[in-house]
Amino acid sequence: MHILSLKHITKHVLIENIPDPPEFYLPLYGYKGVLKTIVETGQYVKKYELLAQAEDLFSTAMHAPASGIIEGIEIIEGKPHLKLVNDFKETAIDLPLQKSVQLEPAAILEILKQYGIEGSGGARFPTHLKYNLRNEDVDVFIINGAECEPYLTADYALMQNKTEALFKSIISIQKIIKAKKVVFGIEKQNKELVTILKAFYSLCDFPVEIKLLPNTYPQGGELQLIKSITKKELPKGSRPLDHRIVLSNIGTLWAIYNALFHNKPYVERVITLSGEDAVKKGNFYVKIGTPVSHLFNLSASKKERQQIVLGGPMMGKAVTDYKSPVTKGTGGVLILPEIQNEKYNCIECGYCANACPQRLMPMEFARYAKTENTTQLLSHRLLDCIECGACAYICPSDVPLMRSIYHGKEILQNTIAL
Amino acid sequence: MNLNPHIKAKKNSVSAIMFDVIIALVPLVLAAYAAFGFTAIWLITTAVITCLVTDFLFNALYAKKYNSFLDGSAIITALLLSFTVSPLTPWYVVAFGSFCAIVFGKLLWGGLGKNRFNPALLGREFMTAFFPIMSTAAIWSTNSIRNIKDFHLFANDSLLGMYSNNLVFKTTGALGEYSMLFIVLGGLYLIIRKRISWHIPFTILTIFLCGTWISSAYDLELKYSIAGMVLGSIFMATDMPSSPNGYPGMLYYGSMIGLVSIFFILGNVRFEYLSYSILLLNGFTPFINQIFRPRAWGEKVDYAVKTEKIFLLTLAIITVALAIITLHYYDFIKYLIYIYIVYITFKFNFSFIKNIHNPI
Repeated sequence: MHILSLKHITKHVLIENIPDPPEFYLPLYGYKGVLKTIVETGQYVKKYELLAQAEDLFSTAMHAPASGIIEGIEIIEGKPHLKLVNDFKETAIDLPLQKSVQLEPAAILEILKQYGIEGSGGARFPTHLKYNLRNEDVDVFIINGAECEPYLTADYALMQNKTEALFKSIISIQKIIKAKKVVFGIEKQNKELVTILKAFYSLCDFPVEIKLLPNTYPQGGELQLIKSITKKELPKGSRPLDHRIVLSNIGTLWAIYNALFHNKPYVERVITLSGEDAVKKGNFYVKIGTPVSHLFNLSASKKERQQIVLGGPMMGKAVTDYKSPVTKGTGGVLILPEIQNEKYNCIECGYCANACPQRLMPMEFARYAKTENTTQLLSHRLLDCIECGACAYICPSDVPLMRSIYHGKEILQNTIAL
Repeated sequence: MNLNPHIKAKKNSVSAIMFDVIIALVPLVLAAYAAFGFTAIWLITTAVITCLVTDFLFNALYAKKYNSFLDGSAIITALLLSFTVSPLTPWYVVAFGSFCAIVFGKLLWGGLGKNRFNPALLGREFMTAFFPIMSTAAIWSTNSIRNIKDFHLFANDSLLGMYSNNLVFKTTGALGEYSMLFIVLGGLYLIIRKRISWHIPFTILTIFLCGTWISSAYDLELKYSIAGMVLGSIFMATDMPSSPNGYPGMLYYGSMIGLVSIFFILGNVRFEYLSYSILLLNGFTPFINQIFRPRAWGEKVDYAVKTEKIFLLTLAIITVALAIITLHYYDFIKYLIYIYIVYITFKFNFSFIKNIHNPI
């Protein structure tokens, strides 16, 4: 399905800095589980200092984006966040210097783990686990440059302005995964990137390709991207590595570059600030933990019936508490007018089924989530839904499709748990 | 709190879809006016007003929805219903048909989108069942009231010229059938606007024309109205709630309508062949949707099982078609309508009314 890209608004602006917020709310949750804090309330911490970590299977870490004082844990939208009050002195701790170019694979993985590198596309899977192969061969290393969400151009800006950094990052990763080839997936609407990327092919001692992808939504979804590049249709829930594929997001590569070449833990990322009600628009370096209220004060033209969305307009989350922070998986912050729903009956137009990238029939989810019919929900394969929002975007009747999908998945989870 | 997505497709609401269909139908109203003047306009207006009033009253009474009659669907039902009748039809018959189309075709199912059958065609069958005059040949002898007989856009002396003129304007048949050109243009407009897809009209017409061609090889002369076929396959068979919603399902549904309408013509169904075929397949639409459910991403499909299901479904459809031919032969279709009235009234009272505020 084609949707308005709205990327022209921020596509050709350079990445800029914004002032740091007076306080940070550092998310104490990751891909799974909760991070354990290792600092105490009232403690003074330096920039880059380790604040919290999880030592379980999906271990990851959170570092201080600035120096300041810890003011305890605050629950925002049901999730724990560590509050850090910025003293604006930028006192950094000395991290052991690394000579990244000579780093061994094991050492690189250790740095990714210690520096809290996570997938930056949204799911926040710990990167050191993704690259940690057990003697598996990798045929293709896919660089996900398909930023299919409208408005968002953070990955585009990185590809355009930080191309060399991204390539250095890829070369380091290739030392670990040794993929037979590297493929950049970028959308046709961004084809001007091809020449920019090609200029750096010579840095690599492995084959690099660029694959132009259709401008459809959701092209950047993992399964859809793999199909476009390798022709393999992986069922939902399968591990790409089992099919000798590794994928990484542009934002992740940028974080890896900062860790390996600038000795910086993951405390900052590039996000797009945009939306119809945003005044200051563009791509910005933003510290992890920056509350959206800070960005809202910088950018919004304040109006009635407005909403702030963390992420893209299709899959992002509308925040109810403006303290909600930018996380390592946030590609953008959008200030949008609230949409008005039409509320007609479903007319069986089939638009949702045609838009569904997983080829499901979303209207059936609305039908059977209401009656809590788990058999039908399963036989219509609700669990294959990737929650991309394409069905609800196109629905002419504004049938509560997403609500039914989330509700249906909840019912299924409960019945499976029983 | 609002869930994702936070943006919506623009100009894509139900009323926008209905408005597009109305745009596609308006030229046919003009053609009807050209052919039969105010007689045609009077019938069409009767249908539109009856549909709107019925829709409003019923919705206000049972669902406490006071503006849902403005969604445009009642106007479409009215236009399509009036397009299937002769200009000689008495106005009260059209009013009765319109009332039944809205009540028994749409509202008793629970409202817009929940109907299994095309309301306009159902309304037409109600008229035939309750007014025997509707199935006589007399009602089609319209020569006396015709406004303009012919319209010569091309020189009428060659065969090609005559043929072309007939495509632009030809005053035989029902009110919506006078301009093949406008019908096709309306269809193209809807396809471009993605309000219908080509699959259903294309398969109906292809299978139907193949059928007539094969029949003619066996010296069977089939009597049908090609403009009526095109009108029905573009505007009636594609009705969203009553037709399948995936492309493979649409192809099957269209093919079966084409096939079954050949059977009906061969079975001496003189005027109702297409409306019977569409209504019959409407009834099977939920099964078609089920069997032709798209293959989900990464799903493995057992094609042997699927083929068997399609085979059995086809047998069922043909069996029902033969049954209908028999019922039609004995003039028993009206009893089918009576049974339907009883069934849908009970169904509404005991089941559908509970669901009336549900969008699906």
